[in-house]
Amino acid sequence: MPITKHNRLVASTIAVVLGATSLAACGSSDDDKSASQSGPATLTFWTWAPGMDKVVDLWNKGPGKQQQITVEVKKQASGDTLITKILTAHKAKKAPDLVQAEYQALPTLVSNDALADIAAESKEAKTKFADGVWQQTTLGTDAVYAIPQDIGPMMFYYRADLFKKYGLTVPTTWEQFAETARALKKKAPDKALTTFSANDSGQFAGLAQQAGAKWWTASGDKWKVGIDDAATRKVADFWGGLVKEGAIDNQPMYQPAWNKALNTGKEIAWVSAVWAPGTLTTAAPQTTGKWAMAPLPQWSAGENVTGSWGGSSTAVTTDSPHKAAAAKFAAWLNTDPQAVAALAKESGIYPASTSAQTSDAFAQPPAFFSNQPDFYTKASEIAKTTAPSAWGPNVNVAYTSFNDAFGAAAKNKSDFGAALKTMQDATVADLKKQGFGVAQ
Amino acid sequence: MTTARRKPYGVKGAPYGFLLPATILFVLFFALPIGYAIWLSLHKVQVKGLGLGAGARNEVWAGLRNYTDALTDSELVAGALRVAGYGLIVVPVMLGLALVFALMLDAEKVRLAPFTRLAIFLPYAIPGVVAALLWGFLYLPDVSPFYFILGKLGLPQPNLLDGGPLFLALSNIAVWGGTGFNMIVIYTSLQAIPAEVREAAKLDGAGPLQTALRIKIPMVAPSLVLTFFFSIIATLQVFSEPTTLKPLTNSVSTTWSPLMKVYRDAFNTGDIYAAAAEAVIIAVVTLVLSFGFLRAANSRTKQEEAR
Amino acid sequence: MSSLAVRKAAPAAGTTPGTAQGPPLRGRIALVPTLTLLLGALYCLLPVAWVVIAATKSGRELFSTFTFLPGTGFTQNIKDLSAYRDGIYWKWMGNSALYAGLGALLSTAVSAVSGYALAIYRFRGRETIFNVLMAGVLMPPVILAIPQYLLMAKADLTDSYASVLLPLVLSPYGVYLARIYAAAAVPGDVVEAGRMDGAGEWRIFTRVALPMMVPGLVTVFLFQFVAVWNNFLLPYIMLSDDEKFPITLGLFTLLEQGSNTPALYTLVITGALLAIIPLVALFLVIQRFWSLDLLSGAVKS
Repeated sequence: MPITKHNRLVASTIAVVLGATSLAACGSSDDDKSASQSGPATLTFWTWAPGMDKVVDLWNKGPGKQQQITVEVKKQASGDTLITKILTAHKAKKAPDLVQAEYQALPTLVSNDALADIAAESKEAKTKFADGVWQQTTLGTDAVYAIPQDIGPMMFYYRADLFKKYGLTVPTTWEQFAETARALKKKAPDKALTTFSANDSGQFAGLAQQAGAKWWTASGDKWKVGIDDAATRKVADFWGGLVKEGAIDNQPMYQPAWNKALNTGKEIAWVSAVWAPGTLTTAAPQTTGKWAMAPLPQWSAGENVTGSWGGSSTAVTTDSPHKAAAAKFAAWLNTDPQAVAALAKESGIYPASTSAQTSDAFAQPPAFFSNQPDFYTKASEIAKTTAPSAWGPNVNVAYTSFNDAFGAAAKNKSDFGAALKTMQDATVADLKKQGFGVAQ
Repeated sequence: MTTARRKPYGVKGAPYGFLLPATILFVLFFALPIGYAIWLSLHKVQVKGLGLGAGARNEVWAGLRNYTDALTDSELVAGALRVAGYGLIVVPVMLGLALVFALMLDAEKVRLAPFTRLAIFLPYAIPGVVAALLWGFLYLPDVSPFYFILGKLGLPQPNLLDGGPLFLALSNIAVWGGTGFNMIVIYTSLQAIPAEVREAAKLDGAGPLQTALRIKIPMVAPSLVLTFFFSIIATLQVFSEPTTLKPLTNSVSTTWSPLMKVYRDAFNTGDIYAAAAEAVIIAVVTLVLSFGFLRAANSRTKQEEAR
Repeated sequence: MSSLAVRKAAPAAGTTPGTAQGPPLRGRIALVPTLTLLLGALYCLLPVAWVVIAATKSGRELFSTFTFLPGTGFTQNIKDLSAYRDGIYWKWMGNSALYAGLGALLSTAVSAVSGYALAIYRFRGRETIFNVLMAGVLMPPVILAIPQYLLMAKADLTDSYASVLLPLVLSPYGVYLARIYAAAAVPGDVVEAGRMDGAGEWRIFTRVALPMMVPGLVTVFLFQFVAVWNNFLLPYIMLSDDEKFPITLGLFTLLEQGSNTPALYTLVITGALLAIIPLVALFLVIQRFWSLDLLSGAVKS
């Protein structure tokens, strides 16, 4: 093998080069502190929200112009891979000043030292958010790593017309949900209430959150992983049971057959979040006005809790030479009434800021739900009942493990409990491998 | 070529000069990144405590740990076996079709050749972002027109996205996408066969089939070796076909093929170190298999030349 | 269609006059090859036809009407696509053309000169250099993207056109292909004759060998063009400014806009269809160079 020697040489050369640059990087980070003073600044902002450039224009023409802070939007694709892209850029000390990040990704970014603490600049912003939402950006510390942008409280969506046709009532508990699924199967065997999909971990995480699960908790300097806890196990067994008995479907979401099932009424309900109207508009365009939204079924009657699925925040990176300016913009973007209204209009987000949820922008229901005039009033009520979330530094590992383990279990209609165990083990093993303190 | 002794200095130095651009590019964009990947494969991240805050995360020497982890990972081995099964379908079918189509294009009195040539090549131009949607519409029973027709005819409708048929579904995507590409390689070589050779065969009374078997195929052997060599590598590094079908079914895991696992580790779960080690292992296996093939093919051609 | 037959027949008639192409055969169609090729074309075009038909469907029709039933939204889809963010799609198209065109051109040049050197000269280390260049394909590109980014970052070249162009210039496949074509198309005695005339090595390559290699090189160009055109991961990692995105990456951002925003399927499908058109045009241009007349013309002069 002629290449081996060559490569070894190259490897050692690179090692030397890298050593040199990491020293250089250490040196430059000191300069950053003095540079993060006020003065003219141009900030880059990685975001996937559509229409963000229009919202940012408001800043650049208004408050940004006064403070000589210009923001440039660089539109990205959302998803797990964006975190890798940010971390790779961060490794080269080239991360943008501002990034949009989903809440569950924040611990990963923080543990890579990619996000700056903006606690000093965000004292005022804190008052605009519900405690449960704000807590996700502090990770239980005194630091603040991001300003919440949008949230995804979970809800139950159903075809009002078909529920009526089959004489079904809207379930208020999960027990009733299961009965409804069985009743529908009996009346119309070719239909299903909904599907259990293994391709979006966020949905399952939100359902577990509703049941009271705390997947990651910190105690002292150790992480405790509770994916396989009683609450989550209850959720897994519930859905696994429904799949096994054939009461619900097991096809993945977000693919042509699923769209068709929603569009033709083959599946007549969807456990989703506040952003569902947007998805239904493309997935099931022929069913406009036929859906209705209700609170998520509860584990015990009389309870009033929901989980969250999706939602994101605006964070400032440690690579930014203008951290204070970037923090100012992040706070403005997510708390200024004009900015949040524009975000709702241009990007279609459901704002995290409490007052914005009841602003004029949300006086009318989404076009797809014109039949439910109080859609957003109800949504803001539901949002208040969101259970606290508990994210850890390797959510991505747990999520990937979910895709595989639950995908196989849903396909084989086998024990979901075993899949949950796999997910727990994979997550703990990864934490240990990375050297995190792990409590048993 | 004439003997080396007569060559002036310029001739001796020329090939090195000609190869200089390729060498520089290779060092910068292959050797250095490969070296860096190998360096990564020998390291791992070491976090302290909760891992929050500055300086909690360090890169440390891992020795061969990432390699032993990868080699003892049953998913990687299972993935390799799946890929072997997939390759046994794809490589012969794809190259067989490519050779047949190329010979047909090269045959005399063929009509519509430019059209069919373009048509067979066209799948290569469909970008991956659309492919998942496209195959979803053709493979998923609820939306596929083929299932619709099968249903109308009262024929059984197999589930293409599970078990054995899944391999066929994946292979079909690869064959569909890659045949035209290989066909063009072989066809271009066929075009280079001198007219005199073709005429001589005809004068000997050889029919089109005999000409193809005895004259054309041996003459394009280097191209066949090339397509084989790169098809083996593409198979061992199969990634896009299973990734395309992944959103459609629960049967394709994120570790279906070894390279999918590399991608998952590098881009989804953020363990670039493990991903690098797995990639190095894939590279070594590819090296052994593909270069072993190349050596075997070369020694055969050399034997034939010697005869 | 018949133009190819004419072109193919022309050099044959020119070099060996009076043989073979006898009148009795003329005009008949070779049935088996033609039918086989048509079947192959059908197999390959069916999924492509889906893209064409889907692009005519409006958002409402895409998931509701029969898969192969054309829709009514084609012109609207194109309008929407052109209107999206002030026509950034066409910017992406231009970027892709630049990356693929320039990238393929440079790549073909490097492949040609390297392949020629490897095929024609006997020199110390020839097989080693060849094997090492080939070894470049062993390491999966998936794992090279991140190191390539970090190295580009050292040169301060990330988020630039060069960061996407440069790593793709050297194509082991192209070098291999060019070597095969040079070995087949450039006879050793022609090179030797050039030396006898006192021509330098570079001059022999550019004036004598290069024209002979054209049919093979256009193939290399075509493959590199399509490879760069469809490349995704490298630009994904390298670029942050979507004004510099190629089409593949741009369409991906339309699909992945976050959970609260639906994927713009119709725009993506229409965009993908329009992106095929330049590739078809390129193919039609390039296939003119596959015939032998250029080659045989060069041998004679």
